[in-house]
Parts: sequence; C-alpha cells; structure tokens
Amino acid sequence: MTILRKGTAEMAEGLTVEEVDRDGALCEAADRVGGDTRAGFLRKGTLLGALTATGGVSGVLAAPAHAVTRDDVAILNFALTLEYLEAAFYSEAVEVGALTGDTLVFARVVGAHERAHVDFLRKALGRAAVRRPRFNFRGTTEDEELFRATAITLEDTGVEAYKGQAPNIDTKAVLKAALSIHSVEARHAAWIRHIAGMPPAPAAFDPAATMAQVLAAVAQTNFIVARRRVTRRRRAPRFTG
Amino acid sequence: MSDHVTLELVDEEQAVREALDESASASRAEFLKRAFVAGGAVVAGGVMITGFPQLAAARAPSPAQDVEILNFALLLEFLEAEFYTRAEASGALSGEALEFARVVGAHERAHVDFLVTVLGAKARSKPSFDFKGTTDDQGRFLATAVVLEDTGVAAYNGQGPRLTRGALANAGAIVSVEARHAAWVRDIVRARPAPASFDPARSMSRITAAVAATGFVQGA
Repeated sequence: MTILRKGTAEMAEGLTVEEVDRDGALCEAADRVGGDTRAGFLRKGTLLGALTATGGVSGVLAAPAHAVTRDDVAILNFALTLEYLEAAFYSEAVEVGALTGDTLVFARVVGAHERAHVDFLRKALGRAAVRRPRFNFRGTTEDEELFRATAITLEDTGVEAYKGQAPNIDTKAVLKAALSIHSVEARHAAWIRHIAGMPPAPAAFDPAATMAQVLAAVAQTNFIVARRRVTRRRRAPRFTG
Repeated sequence: MSDHVTLELVDEEQAVREALDESASASRAEFLKRAFVAGGAVVAGGVMITGFPQLAAARAPSPAQDVEILNFALLLEFLEAEFYTRAEASGALSGEALEFARVVGAHERAHVDFLVTVLGAKARSKPSFDFKGTTDDQGRFLATAVVLEDTGVAAYNGQGPRLTRGALANAGAIVSVEARHAAWVRDIVRARPAPASFDPARSMSRITAAVAATGFVQGA
C-alpha cells in the first residue's frame, strides 16, 4: 500500500503503546479486529495518542436505542480518527489558500463531506467517541501538487480502511452506514486522481487493508501530533524575594 | 433521452436521516426499566449507543441468500460489461469517453468473470440486451454510464448488509471500483463526482424495477 512521504519538519512526539493504552482497550481492539497483525501493529512502538477511547469503552451508556458491540465501537472510532484527519486536512488546505480551480473545488466539497462524516460518527458514538487529535500536515496543505498527492493517498487509504473493516462489523445498521461512506471515499479518490491526471480507477478490484496496516501508514505521515508531551523533570523554579 | 434509466438517488439529507433514524429519545432510566422488564435487552459487556436504526429483521445472511444476491449483482455486471463492450466497438466514442469505455469495460468484464467463478454452477446465464441506441452516441453513452454506475453503487450498498462476511469481502472489492467509475464519468460530463456525503443504498426490488424500466434486458 502507498505510504505518504514523510514530512520534513521535526518528528512528532510519539507516545508508546504502554503510555497511552492504560486500560488495554486499544490493544484488545487491535487484537480483535486485526488479530494476526497485532504483532506488527504494536511493534512500531509508537501509537496515535488520539486513539485512546475517552473514559474507556465498557462504561458508556448513552440514551440507548440499540446494542452496538465493543468491536463496532473500536471500528467506529478508527473510522472517526481517519475522518478527523481528512476533515482537518481539507479545512486547512482551503484556509491556507494555495489551491486553485478544480483542486480548490474538490477540497471544499470533499471537506464538507468529511466534516459530515465526523459529525455523524461523533453523534453515533456519543461519549464513546475519541477526541479530535492535533494535526501537523507538514506542508502538504501549502502546495497544490503536494496537496493532490496527499489527498490521493488519504482517500485511497480511506477506501481500503473501510473495506477492510466492513466484514468485521457486527451491527447491521453500523455496516450500512460504513458502506455508505466507503463508496463516497472511493468517489473522492477517483475525483482527485482525475484532477491530478492519474487513473481514477486503477484496477478492477480495490484492495482492503487491516486496521493495523492503515494505522501504521498514518503513523508514518506524522500528521497526528501527540496531545500531551511526555513530561520531563524540570529544574525547580527559583523564586526571588 | 426517453430511454434512459431515471433513478432519483436519494439526497444526502434523507440518507443521513435513514442512517440516524433515532427512536424517541428514551432516557437511561426508562431504558433500564424496559431492559429489566424485557429481560436482558442489554448486551452483556456491550455498549449501548444511540443513533442507529433497527433494520427490519430480514432473512439472516446465508450461503443460499448470497447466491441470490451475487446473481443479482452478476446481472448488473453482465449489463454493464455488454454496454461498454458495444459502446467501445460502436465507433461513436472518442477521446476520454473512449478511454473510459475501454478501461471500465475491462473492469466490468473482470467483475463478470469473478462472479461467475464464485457462483460456479449456480451462476445465472447472460441475458440478451438491447441498449436502445445509448451505445451509438457519445452523449447518450456518457449520460447512461452515469446512471448505470450510480445504480451499481446503490445496488451493492443495498445488499452489503445482507451478505455473509465472505461474500461481503468479495462485493466490497467491487463496489468501490463502481464508485470510482461513477465519479470518473461524472467528472467527464462535468457533473459533481461525489454528489453527497453518504451514498444511498437501494433495495433489490427497487433496482430490479429500475433496470426493467430501461428495457435494456431482453428476456432474463
């Protein structure tokens, strides 16, 4: 699968799995939905801090309508993280002002779609939703060609991610929503490829990716910045007077 | 353009409303009361989350149902493959429209081969088609392609939740490609490649009726 070019800026401060995944929920999730790749997933050593489910998964009771399994919550939060990333990328790109013509139209329209996906997933997850991460897009929103290349990879990756998770989803209604988003991401991918002069539909069959593969690819971009610094001992403040 | 399929694809708002169809917001206390009365509505160790409708308890996924659904998909793929094959051969296409017909036709033919292989002896036979001149004129070809590709996406999205996991993985590999086709040809005709943030799902009966209305299929 395609890997985004590493940013030239300083490396994001990454958090280790142990520091972030205190209740083990995330490791469990990776285990369940990407079993055989767990080793590879954890081997990386750093983790997207944003994937820690707020408050843990098992205690959440919103105004409930229907049962959604823990696995589904993990999958939805995985999707939400990707949507947060895409939405922020497109919003920033439009704001920065380096885009023109069809590329600018694309960023506006698709940004609105991704924001709608974020809203939907946050609403569905309620208190179980992961927080919005902090991002640093390493200059990819500031140059039109770089933007297009990055958007192609983000959208293609999104398609692979949703496709990989669909067979893992337990709840029918969640699956229906995921499929409805999955095909839209594919439209996005084809659209930006077409704008960039690349084949919109490169193959007769699109590949799926595991959660671990997608997370690894995203981690390599260093777009997601850890929320909290690992604290270091500071010198004791000196007080005068 | 009277022979065109005219499917109204559901607008974004409706798709979202469908997806979010919240039952009357029950308070937590009320829910627990009902849960205890109903005897264990809470999934042990699970999470209750609002916002998803209870889909009608249709037939549960099964290998037999997969066959029915995949044959339905195969009919659509037969139709698309033949449409593109004839359009490419017609001599009416040029430029990017011709390239589209070539590339996408190859994809649809591959989809046919794949589904025939998966279905084996249970694969339906290829019907005969009459595309009512839509393969002989570039403008009509492109407009028809938009509708066919959008229809394919809606059809696959409609059936996805009804498939077993294995069949879903197979269908999943195809549906996103159909969506790419749809976006591509929409961009060619300068229509919005991704018209909504959520793509609609359509039932088998609704798709079947829409296809029948085109008159393209001559005796299935």
